Amino acid sequence: MHPVDTMGQNREGAEYGFAFLDEDAKRELRRTIFKAVCIPGHQVPYASREMPIARGFGTGGMQLTLALLGPDDTCKVIDQGADDSVNAANIRAFFALTCPGVTGTLRTEEASVIQTRHRIPELPLRADQILVFQVPYPDPLVVVESNAAKRRRMHGRADYARLWVKLYEDMVAFDEITISHRYPTRINGHYIIDPSPIPRFDVPKLHQAECLYLFGAGREKRIYAVPPHTDAIPITFNDVAFAVESFRDKTTGKRHVCRRCGADDSFLDEFPDNDGARVFQCSDAAWCDMRLERLEAAE
Amino acid sequence: MAYVAIRGGADAIKGSARLMDALRAMGSSAPLELDQIERQMPLLHSRVLSEGGLYHPRLASLALKQSLGDSLEAAFFLRAYRSTKPRLGETAPHDTRTMRVVRRVSAAFKDIPGGQMLGATPDYLHRLFRFELMDEGPETFAQIARDWFGNRPKAEAPLTFPKVLDTLRDEGLLAPLAESDEEPFDITREPLIFPVPRSAQLATMARGETGGLLALAYSNMRGYGDVHPTVGELRVGYVPVMVPHPVTGKPMEAGEVLVTECEIVAMFEKADDGAPVFTLGYGACFGHNEVKAIAMAVLDRAISVAKDKGRIANPSEDPEFVLLHVDGIESMGFCTHYKMPHYVTFQSDMDRLRAARTKAEEAADAPR
Amino acid sequence: MSVLELPRLWRPETHQALFRRILDVAARPGQIADLSDLLDDRPAALAALATFCDNTQTLADPTGALSDADLAFLDVRTAPVEQAGFILARGADAPRFTPRLGTLDAPEGGALIVVMVDSLTDGPPLTLTGPGIAAQTVLSPGGLVPAWLDARAGWCADFPMGVDLVLADQTRLAVLPRTAKIKGA
Repeated sequence: MHPVDTMGQNREGAEYGFAFLDEDAKRELRRTIFKAVCIPGHQVPYASREMPIARGFGTGGMQLTLALLGPDDTCKVIDQGADDSVNAANIRAFFALTCPGVTGTLRTEEASVIQTRHRIPELPLRADQILVFQVPYPDPLVVVESNAAKRRRMHGRADYARLWVKLYEDMVAFDEITISHRYPTRINGHYIIDPSPIPRFDVPKLHQAECLYLFGAGREKRIYAVPPHTDAIPITFNDVAFAVESFRDKTTGKRHVCRRCGADDSFLDEFPDNDGARVFQCSDAAWCDMRLERLEAAE
Repeated sequence: MAYVAIRGGADAIKGSARLMDALRAMGSSAPLELDQIERQMPLLHSRVLSEGGLYHPRLASLALKQSLGDSLEAAFFLRAYRSTKPRLGETAPHDTRTMRVVRRVSAAFKDIPGGQMLGATPDYLHRLFRFELMDEGPETFAQIARDWFGNRPKAEAPLTFPKVLDTLRDEGLLAPLAESDEEPFDITREPLIFPVPRSAQLATMARGETGGLLALAYSNMRGYGDVHPTVGELRVGYVPVMVPHPVTGKPMEAGEVLVTECEIVAMFEKADDGAPVFTLGYGACFGHNEVKAIAMAVLDRAISVAKDKGRIANPSEDPEFVLLHVDGIESMGFCTHYKMPHYVTFQSDMDRLRAARTKAEEAADAPR
Repeated sequence: MSVLELPRLWRPETHQALFRRILDVAARPGQIADLSDLLDDRPAALAALATFCDNTQTLADPTGALSDADLAFLDVRTAPVEQAGFILARGADAPRFTPRLGTLDAPEGGALIVVMVDSLTDGPPLTLTGPGIAAQTVLSPGGLVPAWLDARAGWCADFPMGVDLVLADQTRLAVLPRTAKIKGA
């Protein structure tokens, strides 16, 4: 049974329009996206609509994607870097159901719009591609201030003193900045953003990129953007270099490689296999597949 | 060796959907009819109508059936459905004095104009199991109906009743209703950016999750706050929905909605003319849900009190704390999302922990 | 009127296509979006408004450039130019107003001004830098009096407050977000 049959019509004959959302909702999203791009890093509020997928599962990212998609788009959805993670599979199925004509793809280079949770693809994106992030916490100041009005004031004035104090306290306690994912990153010299729970490894990809990055928080009702060719600098102290995950083995000192394609420069998933041994594999499934294809073609 | 089978996630989801259906259909019981849910579980049904924020009794029943009885999920279904509906227009404000009442009580007075109407309520029943309910058949229902309708007294009860609080207003003990032509805040069209007007406060709570509202109101009742409410009036009934006629513009009754409304009277404060008056807390929601309406009224007062005093002393008085945490769809969604894969972020956490441990070891090993 | 009978400019699928092109050039100030295949001979300025306006928005049209029919389709509420979220203006007329600039807390309140110019490519060259621009780029709008650049510089002096401009000739658009710096202006 084709899911579109059950989705398209109910007994009253009412139908869902293209991309599920009504035109008013899409227009509001588009106005908000436009403002977000004009004010890089600023969290622009919008009246986030409820979706048939739960809050917390990417409704913000979905609303962005649904406002963007047209029938000549090619769309990829990933979660933790994998197309077939349950969350990505679910969202991709929703797009297939509600956006007839849009082509789905697993290949990063074929997509015009990519929706992602917690990773930026390893393959550098082009100017004709848009990366949409699913965001749980849009505001990096939430760790130091629970009141939204106060946080808004601090952002407007680029007053991030209390965030710096938090980082300093980390240094005092651990001699390390302990923030792992969601690393606070300064955009165009003003707003500090929470780049969503991407690992430190991915933060440098935000800086002076070719593509547009859009961030959507559905439950928290904020959209923000990092335009192409824009400074995106992870904040740190002058004498503390920003470091990415090293994947260095403590005993051998060597950087782990992907057991499948041999990559020594990608973000790796680490997990115990059935024998209890620790194995490492590219988190970005499409990147790993592409490398394998190239290796096989070269043979 | 193969990577995670590329079809795994999608297949698992499909399998899950089929299993949910199979669980529903197993055993020898007949499929639930939507009428059964609406008629025989009207209070659960009301909760879904109220938290979904869409008055569609048939779909509320379908939502409960499809969600296997999960009221949070069922409300979510209605909310998502509502999300796609076009905005046809807005009605004028409705006066609940037009309500065709099925239940109406006041704790403030022994008797009230029109009388205390207990209606159908479990409040004064004994919570003892009636084991005979385990063996009911259609003939049981027929007998109950005959008993009720056969012997009904022909009393002439009025359909609508005046408001109890009008009595207090007439005496000047309650501030007069302020006239307002302010546009009500539409929480489905604008996000809450604090401070928000009272209409945003009430609208958010009107479709808030009952348990969340109750917990916060209870904290105030127990002492994390000082509302000290008396229920001036609690009424449940059907409010006619008046929509302007498309040609003449005259208000016409398009149908009716079941509403629960609670007005509480709380501690007195100085009015504008210097004389002290009682203060008011207001709660209202779709469906028959008294606990929610009372909790809402208490929180309405708690937030207003703190706003007037300019001081928030307890969580139930903080509009941000209350309004951002009582929406069941948002809270349930976010709570549930923690079950999703988070292994990349976890990988990142492990990296930081290992780095910090290395630093700690180096510090411990360093020569003094 | 059913969706099928709507003129092209007012159809949902057109708005999606328009939005993507506008978004591309908003993210890359100085680049020009050619809308001619979508317009059916309507002006690009109107297409920009059609993409974003509805009955929740306010528009000021001080030069009366919009017909009653177009206003009806836009379905906007009109407002004075100092309060409107959207302004339609002519590049040939120096602006004699201060538009909404937003606030520090809510800079998105700054107006979107659609400025109608004669051409995006045959005027004096403006050198642009800022987010969205690799090093620098040049945009040469013709029919935009220098007073516009002076006014914009004043309005956008206190980032994040400011206005965002959409420059439109008959068939093309370019965007000057408040972050775009114009050399010499």
